[in-house]
Amino acid sequence: MTATTLRLCHSGMDNRALYAFEIFLSRVGPGACRIASEDAADVAFIDVDNDLGPYLLAGHRMLYPTRPLIVTSQAPGRQPDPLTIEVTKPVGLAAFSAALDKVRGLLPVADLADSLGLPDAADERGGPVDTIPDESAFEALRSPAPDPVSLLRRIDARMATLHVGSLPDADLDDPVARAGIYYAPEHFLQGLVARAISHAREIGRPVRIDDASGTALVLDPRKGQAWTARSPNALRALAQLPTRGTLHMARQAPDAAFPQGAGPRTLEGLEWDLALWASRGRLPQGTNVDHPIRLKSWPNLTRLAVPPEAMRIAGLWSRSSLSLRDTAHALGIPQRYVFAFYSACSALGHVEPTVTPPTAAAPRPPGPLLTLPSDGPMVQPPRGRFKRLLGKLLGPRPDDIAPD
Amino acid sequence: MSHSKILFGGPPGAGKTTAISAASDIALLDNAAVDHGTITLDDGNTLHLYGTPGQARFDFMWEQLTEGAIALILLIDNSQPDALGQLHFHLGAFSHFIRSSAVAVGITHCDLGGGLRLGDYQAELQLAGFGCVPVFAVDPRSKRDVCLLIEAALSVLDPVPQA
Repeated sequence: MTATTLRLCHSGMDNRALYAFEIFLSRVGPGACRIASEDAADVAFIDVDNDLGPYLLAGHRMLYPTRPLIVTSQAPGRQPDPLTIEVTKPVGLAAFSAALDKVRGLLPVADLADSLGLPDAADERGGPVDTIPDESAFEALRSPAPDPVSLLRRIDARMATLHVGSLPDADLDDPVARAGIYYAPEHFLQGLVARAISHAREIGRPVRIDDASGTALVLDPRKGQAWTARSPNALRALAQLPTRGTLHMARQAPDAAFPQGAGPRTLEGLEWDLALWASRGRLPQGTNVDHPIRLKSWPNLTRLAVPPEAMRIAGLWSRSSLSLRDTAHALGIPQRYVFAFYSACSALGHVEPTVTPPTAAAPRPPGPLLTLPSDGPMVQPPRGRFKRLLGKLLGPRPDDIAPD
Repeated sequence: MSHSKILFGGPPGAGKTTAISAASDIALLDNAAVDHGTITLDDGNTLHLYGTPGQARFDFMWEQLTEGAIALILLIDNSQPDALGQLHFHLGAFSHFIRSSAVAVGITHCDLGGGLRLGDYQAELQLAGFGCVPVFAVDPRSKRDVCLLIEAALSVLDPVPQA
């Protein structure tokens, strides 16, 4: 395997513990990994045995839902999600190296490419150390806890990333930057589930999707329902990473039982969530950002997760045809809000293009972004009159998961 | 402080009183001729929610109630055999108001069957020339559902902030 330098962050270590940890890392292998800031890390390392361990684990997972985690424990076996790798204490070099290899396998190719060319691992600062000291040597993990209040605030502020990711606005006139706003649904669970539902309709039988741990989903279009055998967090993690052949579709035997403990949910809700999670604020490949979009029908937003600004975007598209680029501009919102909502609507067939798309290089005509059809059913109200009412009926709704 | 008026319409039993009660910050008065609730927003502005009497014999009141209203929330009971007919009737009765404001349609009692899907109502609205109207499945007892319906109507009315 290529010696890709992984960027690793830690949670809760003081200087003394960090010093010992860096010595340990230097022994793992040349260029295997290096300490990085939380924002820039490929993987996080968390000791779950200390008092704050479970809290840090849950918080980190919410802040960085697609990031692999290495967790150490004296009593592993929690297996909270497919992106979390457990290592039994005391952690030896071989076990830690193996965990890093698993992390490399979990990272998207683009992230691995980003990691190449980084500086070597931390300099050696001490003598041979071949195990990570157990929690008794990491008292700092107990004491210098991150301020729970500030952590909670950060968690709240970033919960929206679960549905729309954190992709910054791109210069849509820059071909290179524009390439970064696309994803291929067929490479994600979203695409596999869409194919499975289509196949199930053709054969008139339920279809299941298996992962390495067994049956993950059973889809039954006749009932319009899906049974999920994975926790919401695990399913989200599964949906956010390319499948890379790790998931397989199979016919569900007529007499087969549904997954243990799995509750049914609507196929519509499942497909909506999978599209949001795979999209993370990006667009399906081939989508033209300058192509006017029309809302064919409103998604049933009382029974679906409501991503940020979904109501206003839908309201705009129900009144007029507007391109994705102009939608973000007209509403004054991040592109990822528009792109994520479009991706979810597109997965369920709620949107469609209205006219032949302009050529990529064609300049946009001057004038107002929002044009309403003269014979439209609604009369245009005074702009901004009701803006102050929107979004205040239910308060902040960054992660509004609707009941299925 | 501003006061805005939202109207709730629909046939008897569709859930108008329940919906207003669920969304309102104040208790509804018993035996009042017209249901009235309020939602006080964070900025102190108030939404007034008014229910129209459902029976057709009270339709003379409907036009009066629309005066000053900014949107109509139309509730239709999906378990009734003539649900689409009820939709047509109320769209016709409020047609003038809807074309000068906004409407959102809440389909209630979806758990009781009835055979119609949301797409059936959406198609009827399109055919009747009302365009792409928000149509949601709602439980009128759910504050969340009712508020989302109101929010959808307001989003149609004015999605773009004033420059």
